[in-house]
Amino acid sequence: MSAPLLSPTTGEPVPVVARRNRLGLIFLIVADFSGTMALIISYCYLWSLNVNNGWAPNQQTFGNNDLLKSRSPLPWAADWPFWAILLLAVIATVILWIGVRSLKAGHRGGLVAASAISLLVTAVAIVLQWWQITTFPFGPGNGAYASAVFLLTASTLVHLLLVAFLLLAITNRTRAGLVSSGNPFQAKLVGYWMVWVCASILLGALCTTFLKASPNTTPANFGEFSLYNPNAATPSPSPSASPSGSASPSASPSSSQ
Amino acid sequence: MSTATIHQVEVPQPKQHGKPGGIMRHLNFLTGLIGGVVLALVFGFLMSLQFPAGALTPTFANAASGPVFWAMMVGWVVGFMGGMGAFVGPIRWLLGRDLTHEDAEFMAGKDQGKFRYWRFTTDHKVVGIQYLIVAMIILGFGGLLAMLIRTELGATWTEVFNPDFYNSLVGTHGIAMVIAMIVIVSGPVGNFVVPLMCGARDMAFPRLNALSIWLLVCAVPPLILSLMVGGIRDGWSVYQPLNAQAGPGMIGYQTTIIVFAVSTALASVNIMTTVLTMRAKGMTWSRTPILIYGAFAAAAMGLYAFPFYMYSQILSMTDRLINTSFFDPIEGGSVWLYENLFWLLGHPEVYVILIPSMAVMMELIPVFMRKPLFSYYMAIAGIVGVVGLSGLVWAHHMYMTGWAPQANYPFMLSTEMISIPVGFLVLVVIGTMWRGTFWSRLPMMAVFAVIFNKMIGGVTGVYLSDVPADQYFHGNMFVTAHFHYMLMGAGLFGAMGAIAYYFPKMTGRYLDERTGSIGFWTAFAGFQITFMSMFVAGLQGQPRRVLQFDNMFNISNWISTIGAYIIGIGMLIFLAAIMSSWRSGQAAPSNPWHAQTLDWQTQTPVPLENFPVLPVVTKLPYDYGVPDPLDPKKLEEKYDEKVGAPS
Repeated sequence: MSAPLLSPTTGEPVPVVARRNRLGLIFLIVADFSGTMALIISYCYLWSLNVNNGWAPNQQTFGNNDLLKSRSPLPWAADWPFWAILLLAVIATVILWIGVRSLKAGHRGGLVAASAISLLVTAVAIVLQWWQITTFPFGPGNGAYASAVFLLTASTLVHLLLVAFLLLAITNRTRAGLVSSGNPFQAKLVGYWMVWVCASILLGALCTTFLKASPNTTPANFGEFSLYNPNAATPSPSPSASPSGSASPSASPSSSQ
Repeated sequence: MSTATIHQVEVPQPKQHGKPGGIMRHLNFLTGLIGGVVLALVFGFLMSLQFPAGALTPTFANAASGPVFWAMMVGWVVGFMGGMGAFVGPIRWLLGRDLTHEDAEFMAGKDQGKFRYWRFTTDHKVVGIQYLIVAMIILGFGGLLAMLIRTELGATWTEVFNPDFYNSLVGTHGIAMVIAMIVIVSGPVGNFVVPLMCGARDMAFPRLNALSIWLLVCAVPPLILSLMVGGIRDGWSVYQPLNAQAGPGMIGYQTTIIVFAVSTALASVNIMTTVLTMRAKGMTWSRTPILIYGAFAAAAMGLYAFPFYMYSQILSMTDRLINTSFFDPIEGGSVWLYENLFWLLGHPEVYVILIPSMAVMMELIPVFMRKPLFSYYMAIAGIVGVVGLSGLVWAHHMYMTGWAPQANYPFMLSTEMISIPVGFLVLVVIGTMWRGTFWSRLPMMAVFAVIFNKMIGGVTGVYLSDVPADQYFHGNMFVTAHFHYMLMGAGLFGAMGAIAYYFPKMTGRYLDERTGSIGFWTAFAGFQITFMSMFVAGLQGQPRRVLQFDNMFNISNWISTIGAYIIGIGMLIFLAAIMSSWRSGQAAPSNPWHAQTLDWQTQTPVPLENFPVLPVVTKLPYDYGVPDPLDPKKLEEKYDEKVGAPS
């Protein structure tokens, strides 16, 4: 049996370094999970309250089966935020793991090809995600649902960009022989991270699919707010301006309660 | 292929490109500053081009000011971290240019003298001292603001500051002190002491370690700058909708929190991985020093709690900049969502400060009383209990906000329950001290001070956890005095004890006991004067965060202000003791306290890789006064008793 490879910086056996890095990655995933949960909790909290009937975009009601009616030329993709991206992310993850198995079997070229293809799939997912964000039929300020969906998709985009960086590095490092059958742990770590990214996208997909129409049909109404407009001819309070300034003082009355 | 000898083993090396360290040889704090300032200006300028001159928001504020300030903050963070060299590691990894052993030694600051403190240095001892210095700078900044606040409140006959500026002082003081208290024990202890105590050569992820300290440094200027563009006028918690209504200064606060949260999460990952994977051979869980448990617990709480705080600020930022409506009720948002996200960190954060401080005390008492730690397992149970319950008590900060009144009583129960594991820790401390005699040195004095302060903070906390009592107390000076007793009374005085204790290991010199003690006791006396008087003001009904108040509160405010100045004088004396001792203090041996933990078993100054040979642990480090069964002298005596001494 050959002696294990040694880390060039610390002189420790690579399996020892690998175990340490794996644990560190798990903790990083815990921290990221906590952040993702902050978004999911925000989504669920606002969904359950439907404050001022402001959950659905443009303060209309929508059912669980209603699609988003994207402005994109590919409505099937943008109407199903997360699921299309999730599908691509899962494909990219499976391809990478096939590459890792191939590396274990001694075929370094297998991982190079797999990580390159996985990178390509991830790049498609990134473009699609960006497309979705820019073609949603609502703006980030059109209700709580819209805000939550924008942030969840933005979070997915950041995750995917990180995955693309990691895959690019793994492709390059495997090609250079730095990731090999005797030292496959970096590719495996990227694989673990990709599994988590799939899980985080799944959380968003489940929320936006099954928790869409708010169960609160008699929402609390917190009254109306107005801003003092020094330029107005008559100082009558405008009906829909918010204290945070997110709505215009002259917004149409249809958006008020 | 070339090789390097690492711990007597020949290790193959990757190709060395140029001199060890590469581009990192040219990057330091100065290049970081230049990069940060230049990129901030460039980003700010580019963003300003997106807005026509004179554009106004619906609230008639300058439309460009918020986005431009935000762009400048992003530019600052990217430029500073880039200028420090934080992106060099990932880029090298991407390109397949792995570090050689020589590169790693350069990155660890080998043969760079004091200059290594100004670089992206990976050595955990350098990072630990950097944490200490940065925490002291933030503490000094927050303390200065405290003096200004007390000056305003003490000068009852006049108004010293504009009310808006006064509110900004209160908010900035609050968050600066919270950051300082979180960092001042966990930072130096977690980074300098924990790897030594574990018997490791460094932290698990040295580059992540450097990244976390420089992110912390990067987080400070936005907070200071925010004072100049409207500040934080809503207290350190910056509740919605005040958060959304504030000026661009709030973006400085949000940037600080986001960067600080990332820094803390990375530091937590590092500490936890180090503890779990790098403890010395033989250091089983039942032989692990209690300080390691404390550091691990604080890191664990930080790991799950800080992302909530970070996201509360990210969502606030998007509400402000791209009009999302997480906290705007008109568009379906809820201000209570903010409060929940905020306090999901906010209360564990109290224990992130408290637990390391308590753990330091439990480490010091056996050393200075030469007694075993009383009920080691109860101490572990207490720490585990606090970690477990800390995530279930957040809503006690929201009793009076109107959020879910039916949840008040369950949260009252969980809050009062947490006093049980905290009580375990107090019992361990008291039990260890019971009928003991102590070595009267400054670290031990700090233990007594912390016990006293924590007792007062803890007892007043029980009143505040009670819904009926909280109705009266929550918005007045009583609660202000309470949390100062908990955070400052336990956190700061615990930190002073820890500094005095570890000073000889960090610097190779004793802390000047006389000057240090004068500073310490002056600060302690000032602390009691300030906050006891604040309790009285609170019981009389003086509200928090107000500039003007009724004449009936004058006397207690005068006394508090005098006390605050005394704290300031005490802290300056303590700082003078640190600086003079560091420069020319009495040289200390490698184990001046005759402690048994591994951190004291290596030489001082600690060599680059800590231990020439990795140690092996055979017993718990608190066996003071317990005969060592393997002591050769004792074995010889036993042998003589049984067999008879040779004639």
